[in-house]
Amino acid sequence: MPPEASCYSRARGTEVLLYLLPSLVFLAVFTYWPIVRAVATSLLEWNISHPQPRFAGLRNYIVLAADPVFHLVMRNTLLLALVAIPLSIALALLFAVLLHEPLGSLRPVYRAAVFYPTMVPMAAAAMLWVWLFNPSIGLVNYYLGRLGIPRVEWLYDMTWALPAVMISWIWKNVGYLAILYLAGLQAIPRDLLEAASVEGAGFWQRLRHVTLPLLGPTTVFVVAVSVINSFQIFDAVHIMTQGGPADRTNVVIYYLYQQAFRFWDIGVASALTVLFVVGLLSVIAAVVRQMERRVFYEV
Amino acid sequence: MGRMRLRSWQLGMAGLLIGLLATTAVGGPSRGLVRLTFYYPVGVAGPLARVIDEMVSDFNRQTPDVEVVAVYSGDYDPTMQKVQTAVMAGNPPDIAIVEISEMPTLLAMNAIIPLDSYARAEGREWLRDFFPAFLQNSYSDGRFYAVPFQRSTPVLYWNKDAFREAGLDPETPPATWEELEEYAKRLVKRDAAGSIQRWGVTISGGWNDWLFEAFVRQNGGVLLDYGRRQLRLDSPEAVEALRFWVRLTTELKVAPPHSTWASTPPDFVAGRTAMLYHSTGILTFLKNSARFPFGVAFLPRKKQYAVEVGGGNFYVFKNIPKAHQDAAWRFIRWMVTPERAARWSMASGYIAVRQSAYEVPTMKDFVAKNPEYLVAREQLRYAYGKIMAPNFQRLREILKRALDDATGGRLAPEAALRRAQQEAEQALSAWLRR
Repeated sequence: MPPEASCYSRARGTEVLLYLLPSLVFLAVFTYWPIVRAVATSLLEWNISHPQPRFAGLRNYIVLAADPVFHLVMRNTLLLALVAIPLSIALALLFAVLLHEPLGSLRPVYRAAVFYPTMVPMAAAAMLWVWLFNPSIGLVNYYLGRLGIPRVEWLYDMTWALPAVMISWIWKNVGYLAILYLAGLQAIPRDLLEAASVEGAGFWQRLRHVTLPLLGPTTVFVVAVSVINSFQIFDAVHIMTQGGPADRTNVVIYYLYQQAFRFWDIGVASALTVLFVVGLLSVIAAVVRQMERRVFYEV
Repeated sequence: MGRMRLRSWQLGMAGLLIGLLATTAVGGPSRGLVRLTFYYPVGVAGPLARVIDEMVSDFNRQTPDVEVVAVYSGDYDPTMQKVQTAVMAGNPPDIAIVEISEMPTLLAMNAIIPLDSYARAEGREWLRDFFPAFLQNSYSDGRFYAVPFQRSTPVLYWNKDAFREAGLDPETPPATWEELEEYAKRLVKRDAAGSIQRWGVTISGGWNDWLFEAFVRQNGGVLLDYGRRQLRLDSPEAVEALRFWVRLTTELKVAPPHSTWASTPPDFVAGRTAMLYHSTGILTFLKNSARFPFGVAFLPRKKQYAVEVGGGNFYVFKNIPKAHQDAAWRFIRWMVTPERAARWSMASGYIAVRQSAYEVPTMKDFVAKNPEYLVAREQLRYAYGKIMAPNFQRLREILKRALDDATGGRLAPEAALRRAQQEAEQALSAWLRR
């Protein structure tokens, strides 16, 4: 029996490998090999002053550690994640709960309205936000003025430019997260909520003690996706501010692009890539591990 | 087995790529036809890409043995990126228009060829016909690398209606820094809550490094001496110029501390600023869009009138066949004939790069009717070459950050420029001479 089984499984294994081969080839060529190359290149001094690459050890990492712009960039990226992710998750949950209520025949309309920003390319949406945030003719300032709130220079202001980018990012991402939550809500068995109601639980108690815990797996996924998205923000910055004023909206991927394609410092750009990948993976691993401890996957 | 598979896959991919390239750029030189790839940016928004396309089609029609394929490559920065990537990949374009300050970077990358022998063959008068200020960014170590094409200087635009409203003479722009400050104070308009409705003056952001260089020159300073490889971002003249900016923006609050290059022309058209520092390249846009009379003036002086030239030059690339380089020169020469230079100037507002272009009859009629197109040309008497160095983009970001930090009130002008000097010295350490 055992020999037969192992023979069978070896044949299975080859078959499985065969099926996986196409995606493995693509991953190898477009993901694994570039990662290896990035790590290797990050150890080279390779820039405009030294067009011929040469080994330089950890020089590029030391350059970054001493670079004040890099510190500013890290601060901006983390600030964006820490502020925009909780806000967008809260909003997404709110929208999902509202959409889950019986809204009659208008439900598809509301759902489309919430999801719509997800389908607009970020580059196009960013152009739109440039106009919305225009200090003189933008709608944002128009309504602030109506409310009697002092107008803000938004994208031109060192303090308000990053919040403006956050707002556009939240607008873009909430719809997608809301749809994820809606799917999660629809998977919650009605009888659990009804049982809670029978026991005398109100709306908030049901939300707190039944709905939210059961949305745990969804939340893990939502947080992971949001972290990835927030670390990868580029197009909004490129179009709305080009990282300015004075790098107050410069974020990791944008700085990476500047290093690689404007300053042409391939070594430093590669070091930045390595730090980015390692940083992102460890943040996600930490978040997911933390959260999974408190999540039930079985209902 | 796996390796074989990979290789055949790679071959397939390479074949596909070659096929794609063949249909777009490389082409079959079977009938002795030279096909040239030409990257060009349009630095200022508008339908100017169409004008270039028309000129290229005219050239192709008149020159049966050369075909130029024009590739619009976005703004100046994306164009430089495209060029750099292509050069690194060993597949350079034949011709490109790149921002004038990028020449040293292109040289550092060993990407372009000197054009002295071609220029000499045209005769001495040919080169002399270009405005001298436009040639200052064409030379490195005594050799000629770049042919001027879409060239500009900054100018001051002023809204005559706003001047009238503020009790100023609508026909007299400010001529000095002191007048600029005085006028801006009178022109600024706030609502009851203190919010700005109209700025007195806007010194456009985005390329504020370029405008700042002009202020430093007006004050008698120099930021960078290319020939001597010396850098002085924190000279007393520069600090005083930045102090003047800070006075306008954060102290008097008559100028916005920050803005972007693309947003300020619409701001001027919308009446949100009474005066605007920007390129001559937006003149045609303003003429078509502004619904009020406006004027074009020299930048106000401090110790002297001064501006920097700006814009894009033609470059011819290395590692392409000699026949391509020869054909590239024919195309460039054709593009800068007086007639074409005049046509380009009228369509865009850029200054025609050759003096004889202003003798072309259509151009004569045009500037007689639109004298504001002549202001920038007159200002060329006070024009200098633009800052340039290998790794110019980094220098530019360093300087911009210092300017933005200072006008944003985050750093004192001296501290901001001292930091910029230190950062720039480090970034350019391989090139600078001490």
